[in-house]
Amino acid sequence: MSVTAQPASRGPLFAGHSKLSDRIGEPLLRVLTGLAALAGVGVLVWIAYTVFNQASPAISRFGFGFLGTSAWDPVHLRFGAVDFIFGTLESSVLALLISAPMSVAIAVFLTELAPRVARRPTQILVELLAAIPSVILGLWGIIVLGPFLNNTLEPALNGAFGWIPLFSGSASPYGMLSAAIILTIMTVPIVSSITREIFDTTPSEFKEGAYALGATRWEMVRMVVIPYAGPGIVGAVILGLGRALGEAIAVTQVIGNTAGIHASLFPPSGTLAAQIASEYQGATSNLQVASLVYLAAILLVITVIANAAARLIVSRVTAGREQWAP
Amino acid sequence: MATKLIRKGSVLLAVAASLGLAACGSSSGGSGSSSSSSKNLTGAGSTLVAPIMSQWQSKYNQLKGVTVTYGAIGSGGGIAQITARTVDFGASDAPMTTNQAASCKSCLQIPWALAATAIAYHVTGVTNGLKLTGPVLSDIWLGKVKTWNDPAIAKLNPGVKLPSTKITPVYRTDGSGDTYAFTNYLSHISPQWKSQVGTSTQVHFPVGLGGKGNSGVGGVLSSTNGSIAYIAIAYVTSNHFDDAAIQNAAGKFVAPDVSSITAAGATATSIPSNNAISIVDPPASAPAAYPISTFTYAIVPTKSPKANELKPFFDFAISAEGQKYGPALEFGTMPARVVSAATATIAKIHS
Repeated sequence: MSVTAQPASRGPLFAGHSKLSDRIGEPLLRVLTGLAALAGVGVLVWIAYTVFNQASPAISRFGFGFLGTSAWDPVHLRFGAVDFIFGTLESSVLALLISAPMSVAIAVFLTELAPRVARRPTQILVELLAAIPSVILGLWGIIVLGPFLNNTLEPALNGAFGWIPLFSGSASPYGMLSAAIILTIMTVPIVSSITREIFDTTPSEFKEGAYALGATRWEMVRMVVIPYAGPGIVGAVILGLGRALGEAIAVTQVIGNTAGIHASLFPPSGTLAAQIASEYQGATSNLQVASLVYLAAILLVITVIANAAARLIVSRVTAGREQWAP
Repeated sequence: MATKLIRKGSVLLAVAASLGLAACGSSSGGSGSSSSSSKNLTGAGSTLVAPIMSQWQSKYNQLKGVTVTYGAIGSGGGIAQITARTVDFGASDAPMTTNQAASCKSCLQIPWALAATAIAYHVTGVTNGLKLTGPVLSDIWLGKVKTWNDPAIAKLNPGVKLPSTKITPVYRTDGSGDTYAFTNYLSHISPQWKSQVGTSTQVHFPVGLGGKGNSGVGGVLSSTNGSIAYIAIAYVTSNHFDDAAIQNAAGKFVAPDVSSITAAGATATSIPSNNAISIVDPPASAPAAYPISTFTYAIVPTKSPKANELKPFFDFAISAEGQKYGPALEFGTMPARVVSAATATIAKIHS
């Protein structure tokens, strides 16, 4: 571009032209780039507006009481969100409780322990997990995981720890535990790849320093790599949480889709996203549609909070990094 | 100088970009004017009607060269799609509610097939043909009958060795005509069901597991010992699920099959002007009738730009030629009375 521009600016014929194009071009550029930026922001605002606007019949009918009401009866037009809010948070938090330590372990293995030849293939395979479409993961949940939970894992957990309310009651192929395991599988690649990248940025001076002081490899990881990456890991986990909170299809396939809060992990439950995915298309009344969109608005607020928290933490890490850097 | 060059470059870029945008705009405007072939029809909805629909699609294409595209997304989805006019016709096993009919703006319901919702179960050691009654089904889905060896079930099935396995009732979570037929039946049978749960394509089930679509429900059923589900008869047959014989008003235990579904269809004597025919729990005068049978409907706007293509397709579907695919797929034969009501309704469609 600059090659063609150069002779034009030098030629006397185009001298006046150049000023003209400057006069038009400058504002034009400003407008075009501004529009592009505005489009991004605009779509977000538009979506948020649509969601809250479409939910307004339910918002005006139920108010904030919707958030604390436990009901979902399309025939008698009784709707409430608390079961689904709870289900969303429980399934996602459970998934992250399992996937966070697993991801940190994977990252430690890949950055510090694995033989050099095995690192890249392992890393690629773990990250490929993220490439499995969620609907396929859900199918696997129906065909393989569900029967395994129902016939093997849940009876075993119940036998050993049945006195803990979490593992009480009879087994079910579809339910909270099933959803949490599927979400674990979905979040491991996200959390582990970010964690690994953060580990990779640990200055080698620090690591060598630890070794020079006589630290074993485990002590080095525990006292240098993990503390250095700590806040970054929290950020990665919250990004994973954002993914888990919004997952609809795979969760719909395995959670059993009912309203209700249970102490046990075994019975079927529901989440905000799964409820919207399974009922929106067939909703029988305008109030049901509005109530489903109200659920969407709640989900939007929850995910925005989770993502903002992740960003805040990650930005604090990068700020901290400058102080740390040798 | 350098900044000037950059500016110059960006101006060129900006101009190129705006030209490009303009070009895109004009080209899309051009292609928009040539609309897609009007010989094709699109529909969406009921999964119950999908098996016979696929026969109609291929035969009708052979006969008339018209391609009918059908998405089996569930009855509720079918009503939603035709209300939004994103398809040429919708299909639903449940007649539209007053609310839905109002939103759909002068839509017609054309009964075009007769089928049934079967009660399928998966209980190790229990074979096909378990006997159940409406009150027992209601108690199972209300959570009052909890195990397979409950006296209420055992009493109906002397000689059958029932295990103490927990009953896992399964239901459809997406808007479904099977849910409508099943809840409509239970509302006829059980006053508690009628007041507590009600009749709709989506209801609040007090207990059980939800699956999305026939395949979701079928997945739970095949993987869970002790499960019981209401599911379209064609789906039960093709998956070799065990299904129950249900007691009708005459006291007979009847399994769903072509003759028992046809017998239920024949009880449709008075046909309302909107064609919403309910044949669940037929009277005792029809001892051979299967009690959870249902007509399934095409839903179409009275004024449709595709009227000239839709009318011959619907006429074909309800003709003897279209209906002859039914028996092999466990569809019943529609009584002449209903066929003539359908014919009269089809004649009302105009462009």
